[in-house]
Amino acid sequence: MLIEILGIIVVLMALRTLVAQNRSERLLYLNVIGFSMSAIIGLYIQTPFGAIIAITFFVTSTLSSNAIAYSLGRVKEEIMVK
Amino acid sequence: MNEILGIAIAAVICWVNFVLIDTWMGLPEGPGVKGADVIGRSVQKRGGDLAGGFFQGNIVCSPDASAGTLLAAIGCYAIGIPEGGLIAAVLVYFGNRLCADPGYAGTTGALSITVIIFLTSFIGFKTEYFIVGMVIAILTIQGIYHPGASRLLGKIAHKMGRHTKLT
Repeated sequence: MLIEILGIIVVLMALRTLVAQNRSERLLYLNVIGFSMSAIIGLYIQTPFGAIIAITFFVTSTLSSNAIAYSLGRVKEEIMVK
Repeated sequence: MNEILGIAIAAVICWVNFVLIDTWMGLPEGPGVKGADVIGRSVQKRGGDLAGGFFQGNIVCSPDASAGTLLAAIGCYAIGIPEGGLIAAVLVYFGNRLCADPGYAGTTGALSITVIIFLTSFIGFKTEYFIVGMVIAILTIQGIYHPGASRLLGKIAHKMGRHTKLT
């Protein structure tokens, strides 16, 4: 029941990511997928190591979206310079 | 307790917990990292509020109180009620430092939800309700309608005196 709710949220957000026009709008939807995926990992692997995996997955996915958002800003600057 | 009702109440508790802590820690005031600036201005361009946009951008770019709330709930579920939350708080702190974020919002959020989970466990709330509730709470902010959510966050920031001074 709980994992099913999270699965529906992931599918909905994946569809919205596909139809989104803007790159930074897409990042916000991907952030929700990151939240739901680490919640699914935590609920499915009910062991202490499962919690560590979920936490590490979430922190690293945040790191990568940080890098993507940073490079989006750089790309915009470069286009303006040209 | 009824499962659906428990999840709904847990979602409201998580929403209030992370929005209040993040606003108090100054997330809407300015972009903590450079990527948050890009996302905030993009939300503003689509008809949203700049302070709310910075809030959303900061959530994406660094583990803040929202991440702390979710990860402490997962830690409490899989490891145990006080110690799981504390381990999650330490790992969220590492994440904050890796993202070059000066704030302590993530650690504060993790510790506060650990206390809330401990107290509500006496009235029949299960820890897994908070995990699903937190995902639903973040869905309302990041996944439904960004300009509307950012305007609501901007109003809350204005009331708490944390609205951005940038234009």
